[in-house]
Amino acid sequence: MHRFTRITLSAMLLAGSMLSYGQSLLQHGKVSGNIQMNAQYYIEDSIIGAEKVNNKVRTNTFANIQYNNGGFAAGLRYEYYAQPLLDFEKIGYVGEGIPYYYFSYTTENIEVVLGSFYEQFGSGLTYRSYEDRNLGFDNATRGIKIKARPFKGITLTGIWGKQRNLFEYTGQVRGMDADISFNDMCPKIGESPFRLGIGGNFVSKYEADNDPEYRLPENVAAFSGRANIGYKKFNIEGEYAYKFNDPSTLNNMIYKPGNALLLTASYATKGLGIYLTGLRTDNFDFRNKRTALLNNHMINYIPTLTKEHTYALSSMYAYSSQPLGQTGFQAEVQYKIPKKTLLGGKYGTDIAVNYSLIHGIERDILPEVQENGGDMGGTLGYSSPFFGTDLLYFEDFNVEVGHKFNKSWKLIMSYIYLDYNMNVLEGHGGNVQSHIVIGDLTYKINAKNALRMELQHLSTKEDDGSWAYGQLEYSIAPKWFISVLDRWNYGNPVEAKRVHYYNVSGTFVHKATKVTLGFGKQYEGILCVGGVCRQVPASYGMNLQVVTSF
Amino acid sequence: MKRFVFSALFFALLASGFAQQEAATLPSVNLKTLDGKKFNTADISNDGKPIIICFFATWCKPCMVELKTIAESYEEWQEETGVKIYAVSIDDSRSSGKVAPLVSGQSWEYEVLLDENSDFKRAMNVGDIPHTFILNGKREIVYQHASYAPGVEQEYIEKVKEILQQEKQAE
Repeated sequence: MHRFTRITLSAMLLAGSMLSYGQSLLQHGKVSGNIQMNAQYYIEDSIIGAEKVNNKVRTNTFANIQYNNGGFAAGLRYEYYAQPLLDFEKIGYVGEGIPYYYFSYTTENIEVVLGSFYEQFGSGLTYRSYEDRNLGFDNATRGIKIKARPFKGITLTGIWGKQRNLFEYTGQVRGMDADISFNDMCPKIGESPFRLGIGGNFVSKYEADNDPEYRLPENVAAFSGRANIGYKKFNIEGEYAYKFNDPSTLNNMIYKPGNALLLTASYATKGLGIYLTGLRTDNFDFRNKRTALLNNHMINYIPTLTKEHTYALSSMYAYSSQPLGQTGFQAEVQYKIPKKTLLGGKYGTDIAVNYSLIHGIERDILPEVQENGGDMGGTLGYSSPFFGTDLLYFEDFNVEVGHKFNKSWKLIMSYIYLDYNMNVLEGHGGNVQSHIVIGDLTYKINAKNALRMELQHLSTKEDDGSWAYGQLEYSIAPKWFISVLDRWNYGNPVEAKRVHYYNVSGTFVHKATKVTLGFGKQYEGILCVGGVCRQVPASYGMNLQVVTSF
Repeated sequence: MKRFVFSALFFALLASGFAQQEAATLPSVNLKTLDGKKFNTADISNDGKPIIICFFATWCKPCMVELKTIAESYEEWQEETGVKIYAVSIDDSRSSGKVAPLVSGQSWEYEVLLDENSDFKRAMNVGDIPHTFILNGKREIVYQHASYAPGVEQEYIEKVKEILQQEKQAE
């Protein structure tokens, strides 16, 4: 018998017998999932840089399906990115198949996963497997994960596997994490206003050394310790991570160990929230492949300490985390002027002030580099004093005021100043300083109909010059959205490039299903989610998005 | 070939699962509360009364509008229906520290949970946020809605009242 048929037959037989065996098992089973399809029809436009595309119709499509029954669960994701949207093709996210599947068993005190899983230790400084489907980022780990809670308040996690990069699984990473929550462990603390938790982990990766020039470490370990302490409305959290020598293409093959420190403090009371955070990373790029570039082969996650702006023009110059060396802080104060006061009006007024400042770290090149003819490779590279800083990477000062005037009118106003080191963050140009003003006005016509208008302006003398942006969105709850927007690069130094990037779209929502059809131009820029960024090429055409979950 | 066998098995399981589908209940995922305690989503409950679960993030504008709007009438909703709202933040370590100051800054009375690595979001098959679920007294998911438009909150509370009515009739 042909091998294929034989396997098919046995699979069917097995499935059949499992079915009858599984009748009782499946009695209370539940199947659920979601499907998402993004499709685009591309039209050439040489002025904005939208290239001629070979396959004019492209799609990113995936479906998650999971089965749950008591403590048992299984799931998979089918992905169809054979001819993906251009931005996905540019980063190499091209393929088709089932790159994600798992079986898991969970009881109150133990959880076992075989197959692919997502997990993070602490804040992710040493290890984080996660996905962001809009970004085309997915570094799921495939292997085994065991989580145990031997005592109340103590969680032990062990992972071992390969990590996903685009459509393959590479490298080898293993790790253990211990987490102790004293509030869960000890009822006396649990009921007190004190909060205390500590944790620590150890992660190591393996990659064979086939290098003709260097003797490279095949196993590289990293560890971290963390603590959070809280009293009533105060909270302080910190994590310190250390990595042993890990020469890689990105760090110029130096043998210097790396470290990272993340500190967060917050105070929160009725109507007022204060948040302060600091981060310093030094040579802390951690990947499962030494030659990796861009966002590939990542093991860990270094959060970005800047506010994540979401308006179109305010997110144009977004900071992306620089694990190789960055030091900075962010402060934010949120205040709600109480209602029924002069400035608060009937509903109160929200004010948020946020500031972040990030520099490169000081790097004092070691004498051994000079002896090496200026080549860092194979040396310890540099030393870096803890408080030493280098170039400005990013500065952001922003104020946002939100006020609801009455049942119909609501306004959010923002002012943002950005100083963006384009040379460091994108590899071209110089510093871009910009002032951005945004008005976001909502007029609720009646119980279901609302009109929202966004006006934005970005002024800068650098890069592509100034921009204006306007958007009108009409919504009929709960089912319809219609939106028209124009993003105009009126200040472009090149007159021919003063283009209107317009977009018209309509959305229909029914329960957990959403369908959006749009037509327009996409500006060539950068898309960032959580401080991880990628290029988005210019495009022109029609797009369709269908999202549903069941 | 392995993939084929696997898929065949899986879809067979699925098919039989579909055939015997029961109303969807909540998966069990470990999250954190704002004071750092563990919280299992299987413990989401409201003494047999309806529950609303809203997925949000501090950086998600429509989510913020949704939660701020509901907050204005939440007290009223609770008095009328006894509904309880769980607001689940999917902020990761970049911004999860901002959730507590936000919640008290806004004086929100919601039960707030942190889903830092989107485990609960995945288990609930949520794509983009905001995404809202409504559960009946038996903690079964009876309604969900993706996205937010001003006025949708009215639909939520109508749904909650509908559930209460149905449960009353069933008694």
